[in-house]
Amino acid sequence: MNLTTDLGGLRLRNPVIAASGTFGYGEDYIKAGDISWFGAVSIKGTTIAPRAGNPPPRTCETPSGLLNSIGLENPGAKVVIEEKLPWLAQFDVPIIANISAESCEEFSELAAMFARSPHVSALEVNVSCPNVKAGGIAFGTNPDMCYESTKAVRQVWQGPLIVKLTPNVADITSIAKAAVEAGADALSLINTLVGMAIDVNTMRPVLGNITGGLSGPAIKPVALRCVWEVSRAVQVPVIGMGGISSAQDALEFLMAGATAVAVGTGLLVDPEIPRRVTQGIREYCEARGIETLQEIVGAARR
Amino acid sequence: MSLQQIYDVEARIISVSNVRGKVYKMAIDAPEIAGTAKPMQFVNVALGDSTDPLLRRPFSLSGIYPDRGIIEITWAVVGRGTEIMAGWQAGQSVKVLGPLGNGLDIANLCLDHGLILVAGGTGLAPLFPPASQALARKAEVNVFYGARSADDLLDTGDLVTGCRLHLATEDGSTGFEGLVTDLLEAHLGVQGTGDNGKPTVISCGPKPMLKQVKHICNRHGFPLLVSLEERMACGYGVCQGCAVPSAGRKSGYYRVCTDGPVFWADDIDLGECTR
Repeated sequence: MNLTTDLGGLRLRNPVIAASGTFGYGEDYIKAGDISWFGAVSIKGTTIAPRAGNPPPRTCETPSGLLNSIGLENPGAKVVIEEKLPWLAQFDVPIIANISAESCEEFSELAAMFARSPHVSALEVNVSCPNVKAGGIAFGTNPDMCYESTKAVRQVWQGPLIVKLTPNVADITSIAKAAVEAGADALSLINTLVGMAIDVNTMRPVLGNITGGLSGPAIKPVALRCVWEVSRAVQVPVIGMGGISSAQDALEFLMAGATAVAVGTGLLVDPEIPRRVTQGIREYCEARGIETLQEIVGAARR
Repeated sequence: MSLQQIYDVEARIISVSNVRGKVYKMAIDAPEIAGTAKPMQFVNVALGDSTDPLLRRPFSLSGIYPDRGIIEITWAVVGRGTEIMAGWQAGQSVKVLGPLGNGLDIANLCLDHGLILVAGGTGLAPLFPPASQALARKAEVNVFYGARSADDLLDTGDLVTGCRLHLATEDGSTGFEGLVTDLLEAHLGVQGTGDNGKPTVISCGPKPMLKQVKHICNRHGFPLLVSLEERMACGYGVCQGCAVPSAGRKSGYYRVCTDGPVFWADDIDLGECTR
């Protein structure tokens, strides 16, 4: 059974990717799991300058879901490029650098910084973070801004370019088309849904940031619908994510049209989830005489 | 950065017992974790295959028995997850991720002047392993332990042999009537007058108590380690959810799960803490 897949020029040994923000830069994950279980890893969203992140509490469990408001805590691009990536590269798993910025100029500068690193296999432009005041989601909710930010990266980065989209829009296909028009080679969807929780004892919002991003199994139907719509509307490969916690979940995304999948919240609950999902996809296919992953990609729409 | 391996084991529950009121204790057969865990490390316990509740629950180890391959956790029922766990039975299997967190390297701690442990409520549980290791090193161990009433105190039986126990209850039903921090203050006030070296203090319990203990230790010049709790998602460092504000030289936040749960009190800002 051949599990390899191709994301706009980025070859993966298997279709399971570590979703940005649930893997750090690998140095903590490695104590609990094996980086080589992944087809690729997307690093924690990185900005030009270091960010301390949002005040706690930053997480809140909801029914089959998780609200988070981490706020892009990261040590800044220089530290990531000089210290984190050379270490992570030793595992020989393609590294997707997830980048976040407050302006097109910053996106361009950040992409140029990562373009100088020999360890980056693809860039993932984060136009969908709900937890920062400036930038982030603002770029992903307006087709023109999505186009401009993607274009800014495209002009300085020749490798595979992925744009990560938010579901917090009326029509995700119009944003997806704008990203592709600006030169995106692949699309990641979805980022988290904006939500909140209230503590009835303190009569206050639970999260220090008041609102946060909802992830986990609770959002899977929304994510599947987005993958279904977008993979029909554009010609580039889609990375499906949102609540994947089993091989069956991953298969649903593939059949909806995703070329690869990412595990995020599932990774927080079970560090071995990439192995479990990959193995489950293999068993499913072998039991049915399916020889390549491409046979199931988009199968539900045929 | 510690390179200690984290195990995700399918472990057998040896026993679950209702210690008192809403407090439960569980012994788990987990040789990999028992063999490598340090005092004040914790484990992340999966609640089953259902996605609701979704996340694992973090618990400090209240007992580490490497010879028998057993770990023990103690918890109070405070929500849905801990309620589910209270219904578990011996013989069942449970997924346990650990050991997690920095824990305490007792060998790196100066015990020449003894060790002082300060706990509130179920905060006593994680202090059993450091107490027994300090006693094994022939250190003098003073334990200050408080709760609302006698009914809320954990069983201190294991500590009685060897430790000097100072109990406080807010209603006076056992020991000193008042807060454990008042009892601590009186004790340190006497000890703190001399020029000789001072014992390290380790504290675990509710945030208001920890703040008060920090205040007292600063006033009398005692070094203080605290064990913190925060809302946690992954427990092993990848999500950056369990942030605690730093104080002193480092700006920003520490992660309770990997930088802690044990911190020098001077390194963190308890004032901004949320619970």
